[in-house]
Amino acid sequence: VVTGEALLALLPELVATGFLILVLMVGVFADRNVVLVAGLAALGSLAVFGSAAVLLVIGFSGSFFGGGFVVDAFALYFKLIVAGSAFFAVLAAARWSGYTGDAGEYLTLILSVVLGSILLVSMRDLFGLFLAIELATIPSYAMVAFDRTRRESAEGGMKYLITGVIASSVLLYGIVLIYGVSGSAELADVARAFSADLSPVVVIGLVLLLSGFAFKVSAAPFHFWTPDAYQGAPTSAAAFLSVAPKAAFFAILLRVLLEGMPEAAPTWTAVMAFLAIITMFVGNLFALRQRNVRRMLAYSSVAHSGYILAAFAALQGQALQTAVEAVLVYSAAYAVMNLGAFLVIDLVGEDTKSFNGLIKTRPGVALSMLVFMASLVGIPPLSGFFGKLWIIIAGAQSGSVAVYVVVGALVINSVLSVPYYFGIVRNMLFEEPAGPVSPKDDSSALRFSVYVLAVATTLFGLLIIPLSTLVQSSGLL
Amino acid sequence: VITTVTIFIPLLGAILMLFLPDEARTLRYGALGVAAVPLLLATYVYFAFGGNLDAAALSQDVTWIGSLNVGYRVGLDGLGFGMFYLTTLLTLIAVVASWDVRENLKQYLAILFVAELGMLGVFAAQDMILFYVFFEITLIPMYLLVGIWGDENRRAAAIRFFIYTFLGSTVMLAGFLAFGILAGSYSMDSLSAGGGLSRTAQIAVAAPILFGLLIKVPAVPLHGWLLDVYVSSPTSTNVVLSGILPKLGTYGLIRIAIPLLPDGVEPFLPYIAALGVVNVLYGSFVAFLQPDLKALVAYSSIGTLGFILLGAASQNAVGLNGAVFQQVSHGLYSALLFILVGVIAARTGTRRISELGGLAARMPWAGGLLALGALAAMGLPGLAVFVSEFMSIMGGYETFPVQGVLAALGIILSAMYMLYMLARVIFGPIERPAYEGATDAGPVEMAAVVPLAVLLLALGIFPALLISVQRPAVDAVLSAIGGG
Repeated sequence: VVTGEALLALLPELVATGFLILVLMVGVFADRNVVLVAGLAALGSLAVFGSAAVLLVIGFSGSFFGGGFVVDAFALYFKLIVAGSAFFAVLAAARWSGYTGDAGEYLTLILSVVLGSILLVSMRDLFGLFLAIELATIPSYAMVAFDRTRRESAEGGMKYLITGVIASSVLLYGIVLIYGVSGSAELADVARAFSADLSPVVVIGLVLLLSGFAFKVSAAPFHFWTPDAYQGAPTSAAAFLSVAPKAAFFAILLRVLLEGMPEAAPTWTAVMAFLAIITMFVGNLFALRQRNVRRMLAYSSVAHSGYILAAFAALQGQALQTAVEAVLVYSAAYAVMNLGAFLVIDLVGEDTKSFNGLIKTRPGVALSMLVFMASLVGIPPLSGFFGKLWIIIAGAQSGSVAVYVVVGALVINSVLSVPYYFGIVRNMLFEEPAGPVSPKDDSSALRFSVYVLAVATTLFGLLIIPLSTLVQSSGLL
Repeated sequence: VITTVTIFIPLLGAILMLFLPDEARTLRYGALGVAAVPLLLATYVYFAFGGNLDAAALSQDVTWIGSLNVGYRVGLDGLGFGMFYLTTLLTLIAVVASWDVRENLKQYLAILFVAELGMLGVFAAQDMILFYVFFEITLIPMYLLVGIWGDENRRAAAIRFFIYTFLGSTVMLAGFLAFGILAGSYSMDSLSAGGGLSRTAQIAVAAPILFGLLIKVPAVPLHGWLLDVYVSSPTSTNVVLSGILPKLGTYGLIRIAIPLLPDGVEPFLPYIAALGVVNVLYGSFVAFLQPDLKALVAYSSIGTLGFILLGAASQNAVGLNGAVFQQVSHGLYSALLFILVGVIAARTGTRRISELGGLAARMPWAGGLLALGALAAMGLPGLAVFVSEFMSIMGGYETFPVQGVLAALGIILSAMYMLYMLARVIFGPIERPAYEGATDAGPVEMAAVVPLAVLLLALGIFPALLISVQRPAVDAVLSAIGGG
């Protein structure tokens, strides 16, 4: 039964759907008027953000549609991250998508990913979850392949599509096996299948499910599509996909693990600890070798997935609450700094050498990039520091030796990542400018995004005050 | 609230710099105006609250990251106030001494202010996480100051500085976190000595904290980043770099490690004292061999930092007071010497000791003040360094006789190399006609050094000016560690 309350619960999704259709339509009829189309898409992102914020402020929560769709502070929080990231992605994509002549389509794709992601974080049913994941990822294949002027774009899109489809099948297979044992796809019922001793079928289901998720969040050894996809993708696509859907994947994974299989925690925390360690090392060690900034940031995003997985490994004992908070804080912190870092590429270039002497030619952009790089390293008082701080504290509280090892690996990896992040900083500060910079895009909307994100990254220490109250008081999961 | 205002005024200054017109005169006067405010506030605090730094008006304790139990807790105490004050003073002097920064002055001053914010924060933080945050806020600004405005060796120097100190501070953070989680609080005020940890746990926690702090000082085997950084920095960066930055480490030792982890630090104390002695002897020996005047001052600076370590390790009132005091007097004399080296190098075009000579005749003021600084460095009575080195050695000797005697030897060594340097640089014939026409320090340069010289004398003659402020805090440390 669709009641008024259920409609309110769906408000962000309905707003997203409305704007999605609007942007698509206006895009068809006014394909020359990029300002209008992009303006609508940006407005749509803000409207989704606003509606989720309103629901959060009035403390709206509940289960709807037979319990498969849940609205709580946790879900709303991630809807905010997704919609906020989309806003900056749209601004950054505005000028470029106008050049392609298909601004409407591209921006519609962004809004589709938004719709899929915000649905996803509210799912409490394995099949609904699968559908939402597909809704979020299928448009993203098209986004990656959207740049017809570059061959890498099609190549990246193709690789992403193939691996993505395989990952989805693996995930679905895992879901089906779990469903077969539990007899229901609802997380509360699934939990019962995991309560007794784990049967072999359930274990296989769990492994497949986790492998599918590992693909989606680019955890090693399932990360190999990431560098190609992000290198080929239009910058705004790489920026957006590396933060928004990924945050949603982590959110729903957290919900599935905590609500659907709490009794199996010893098993999956061990898997997460293992994944976290190899993901961090693989991401950072490969990033060290890159000369292409997109590729470097792609590996960096792998490494950061490893850091977030470290928080998953700490989901035990005393540390449960702190570890959940760590995922929330890290997702927000990562969104601002990584969006910013990616968007700078269009203003400067994708070769590390194109950053040479940037402090002299474009001091504002150079300073912003410095902030993003230092934040990705985890230097206070920038956003990345708070994310890592939370994870380390969660790990320390967990009281598990395996998690201590993970946290140790995180600290080592933070130092390990200094050379490549600061390689760019060194080029910006100490090298001579190679020549006139010809930015791919120099629109004021893009510069505005970069500067706002740089300020948000810098002042995260202030944002953390309401954020920490929010994650603490919302009774999360 | 006064403390918070003082800490964050430099941030306003940094923003103001970015909006001022790009004209050197305006920028310098603007920066002077901004830098004067924290100094005036700190001076006001000294006269209004000197005997009572615990006053509520100076401290603040608000929730910051609620769910992690991390607070924005700031306040002043006798251990940090001297350095807090010196930070405001040396930043002002660094602005005055920024004459050799010719490019991008605007950005230089803005970054300098961000660094000041971090340093002031460290000396006022009463929460370990906040301490770490402020500690690291200084990292990027110093990296930029050295890396952009340094001389031709700046790149390697800046990167080495970054890697060393980032590694150190990350390890230190791990120690803080472990301590905070085990003890249930990060508040430096409310934690009792040891925080209820067993001796073994304290040792395990103290080791990483000490490692991080000693890299920052730097204590001698960990000093690999120092020489290039000091030598290739512009003069006004040197003022901050040698005057304040090493004390982030020593202050952390005196304020956090020793009083909060007494049992954990205790087994390390003989080694810390020994490292202090190694600093003194190594610094003095190597300084003796330096052909470059600036490198000589840099090693002299490493050497006299050793007395802080020795005094801090002594666990008695005399030694600890000496260590806290030495932080300030070291800052005064090393800033003075670095500025004068900058002046001399600018006038004569060289820093090589062998190429200098007879400066007393050409530059009586600069030469005279250089002599004063050198005499201070060797611990001449009547100057501030004498008081603090003497106390550090006395205190150190009481606890660790061998280290105390060896450190005293260091004073003789420093007298040797400083007098030798003076003989060649200040006196003797003018070696080169090239700088026969070199003029004496001008009014701006004198304005940068005279306050330092005056304070060296004032604190040398009336040490009570500072000791009266720091003594209650030192006594509190001693009662925390159960000594006396």
